[in-house]
Amino acid sequence: MKIGSYEVKLEKRVTLRGWEAATISILAVLFALLVFSYIFIRAGVDPLTGYKAIFSYAFTSSFGLPLTINRFVFLLLCTYAFIIPMRAGLWNIGMAGQLYTGALSAFAVAYAFGAKTSQTAVLSAGIVIPLMIGASILGGAAVGAIAGFLRGRFNTNEIVVTMMLNFITYWVVARLIKEGGLFMGASGEGDGFKLPESIYAPLIKGVPFTIFIALGLAVLLYFLFAKTKIGYQIKAYGLSPAAAKYAGISPFKIPLLVFIMGGLIAGLAGYHYFAAVPGLYRITKNYGEFGDLAFYGIICGLISQGEPLAAIPIALLFGGLTNGGRFAQGKLKLGFGIDYALLGVLMITLVAFQFFYRYKIVWVKTKKESSDVGIHG
Amino acid sequence: MLLESVKHGDTVLEARGITKRFPGVLANDQIDFEIKAGEIHAILGENGAGKTTLMNILFGLYQPDEGELYLYGKKVNFRSPLDAIHQGIGMVHQNRKLIPAHTVIENIILGHPKAGTILNLKRAGKEITELCDKYGFKIDLKAKVWQLSEGEKQVVEILKALYRGAKILILDEPTSALAPPETKRLLESIRIMTRDELAIVPFITHKLPIVLEVSERVTVLRRGKVSARLATKAATEKSLAREMVGRDVVFRTEHVEVERGNPILQVENLSALNDKGVPALKSVSFSVQEGEVFGIAGVSGNGQQVLAEVLAGLRKPQRGRVLLDGIEITHTSSLERWLKGTGYIPSERVDVGSIAAFSLVENIIMNYHFDNRFSKGGIVDYKGLRKLTEGMISEYEVAAPGPDTTARSLSGGNLQKLILARVLSRKPRLLIANLPTQGLDVGATEFVQKKIMEVKKEKAGVLLISEDLDEVLSLSDRVAPMYEGEFMGIIPGGEARREMVGAMMAGLKPKVEAI
Repeated sequence: MKIGSYEVKLEKRVTLRGWEAATISILAVLFALLVFSYIFIRAGVDPLTGYKAIFSYAFTSSFGLPLTINRFVFLLLCTYAFIIPMRAGLWNIGMAGQLYTGALSAFAVAYAFGAKTSQTAVLSAGIVIPLMIGASILGGAAVGAIAGFLRGRFNTNEIVVTMMLNFITYWVVARLIKEGGLFMGASGEGDGFKLPESIYAPLIKGVPFTIFIALGLAVLLYFLFAKTKIGYQIKAYGLSPAAAKYAGISPFKIPLLVFIMGGLIAGLAGYHYFAAVPGLYRITKNYGEFGDLAFYGIICGLISQGEPLAAIPIALLFGGLTNGGRFAQGKLKLGFGIDYALLGVLMITLVAFQFFYRYKIVWVKTKKESSDVGIHG
Repeated sequence: MLLESVKHGDTVLEARGITKRFPGVLANDQIDFEIKAGEIHAILGENGAGKTTLMNILFGLYQPDEGELYLYGKKVNFRSPLDAIHQGIGMVHQNRKLIPAHTVIENIILGHPKAGTILNLKRAGKEITELCDKYGFKIDLKAKVWQLSEGEKQVVEILKALYRGAKILILDEPTSALAPPETKRLLESIRIMTRDELAIVPFITHKLPIVLEVSERVTVLRRGKVSARLATKAATEKSLAREMVGRDVVFRTEHVEVERGNPILQVENLSALNDKGVPALKSVSFSVQEGEVFGIAGVSGNGQQVLAEVLAGLRKPQRGRVLLDGIEITHTSSLERWLKGTGYIPSERVDVGSIAAFSLVENIIMNYHFDNRFSKGGIVDYKGLRKLTEGMISEYEVAAPGPDTTARSLSGGNLQKLILARVLSRKPRLLIANLPTQGLDVGATEFVQKKIMEVKKEKAGVLLISEDLDEVLSLSDRVAPMYEGEFMGIIPGGEARREMVGAMMAGLKPKVEAI
């Protein structure tokens, strides 16, 4: 394509630096917001007002910000549950099932300590909370391990297995918290039992302490992939299972390991949302919505290209937008589903902009036509 | 039509000043050459000399940045391979592009404009049979492609191009996967084709004898430029190699006599299945001693790959035993075998021997992640390994900008040098080299063969698997020709004659026992 005396060309990138990838992603977000402005205008809302409503609620309001942070922690954990198998070339679609099981396991510990009997039961937080976390991790890891084992041992498709486990665990939760279930709540309205106040997860400035676990995991996973032997083996297996096998990396161990690690983190996400977020402290009857929310972990994982640190801003953005979008929809009396439309536009643009991870636009000053130069012949 | 009036010796395709740049590489630099009717024109060059780029330009896959193509004196501009096909250019790729589950005839008419929506296999069959008769091809049109040998698949590709009306046939390394008798048959057919004023351009890297035998003219490329353009009659193997590499090349790696010691590898009645579950290795027994190169000669697909994988711990045998230094390792993992001193150079250097997206350092780690000298407490010593990689790059003369470039950016020869450097740096007791010089140019081949001889000198054992008869004969102390999963015999290197081993590779058992 020619513009004036310049020629615009697409050139294949040889390398992609971190800051280049970051710039491309930021441009993608800005572009998505620009495109979505059209929808705001069609809905009769000034785009600036719309975005102000979304972002100020999500990131500055004293009501919205804690919600955003809780979602962010949840999404980040789900993203990591997805990323670890992804680096091994495997797809964990089972974060929902793993987090349901994590939550159930945590509440099973509380139940065993008699938490169901009374809201005012005094339990030793120092013992019960670590046990609940441990149980949630084990529960999630156990569900993950099923998919990993089947993949490693029998080469069973992990997408199908994790997906099916989502359904199974969904109904197990239903059986346990609904009427007559072991974990049924006192109100009988379909929620699970509420934790006694004595074992509420500690808050730090109103934020559950699980945020530190999530951020700690970010650093840990970065380190895992950049420096450790096991991280190397996972990456090698992910890029070429045949070459990894040749190099002496076990084609059984790696799938099992990544699904245990992924399931473990998803289990923690289950603990976080149902046992650590203020105002909940129970497995709510709409627990399925959190399972659905977990699928944003896939989106965040794909956009961050499996980079644990890059996943932080992306999970924060999606956490904020799912939250602020819903608020703005109500406040500005927008049509149903406009928040999902915004997320959809954003996802498509972010994925489309990954084109620029491989190509760049270059401007070349065009040479004079050779016919002008040729004298001979 | 123009084509009818083409006479022998007329220029059919001419390239003038072809230049093609890729980021950081000048792949073709002002290349001129012409192809004449009824002539076989070989294009010779090392890996990375620009042959493939040039071929892709002739076939319309790439557009040149500068320069022009003239077909029958008329300027042409191929925007796609379809354009090139319509104008009578046929291409036979080195990596066969056929559908294994379909029959020969179905593959030949695939995508043919005449095929239409409803296939008239009968008419097409008749026309193809005529082509076969004319050029001396023997092939069962109803056979499924997966049942064919490499040579037969090649014939299918050629027929496909001819059936489409190709007048200029480009063959990419046409003999690389063929057994000696198949090569002979192919060359005969090619000669018959030239009588019909077809112009044929084979691209050949390292099989110089074939260039000399079959072609009339040669264009030699070096680093993207034409370094020589000559009549084959005026060329010798030595002069061509010098033009290609830019220096004199040793053709036969010196055979070194080393005193043989204890057996390192002992294989007893080993049998295994291939991926399809078919017995591919049938009760093979042999041993490799210290200071010995044991050569297995055979056309690919006769069980060598399965044998190599079983020995490397990548495939489970059905029966039999494998002993390394007298200790049974039949059921150990590939990791344990690395640790015990088996070094494996796989034939699939891109898919198995390396990881394209990994840096050179990370590729070296493929054989070091289990090495305690380079990882402490589960943390990999990237710094130390980077240094190790730098050392290997300079010692093995790997042409690469640095240790952080990806393996993807290396040419075949340089990638093989890197793999060789990595495996040999482990100082293996037993080196299994599976097609170590396949597809490499003369320079790289010479280098790899020299290194294999060095391993032998250090009193390690080498199991060499090769399709190149000359290579096996010149390097091995003992030669085992392999056919359909069995050894046709084990012959001391000194007694192995080319014709005899060639015949055994094709399935003939010699009656040596009956003296």
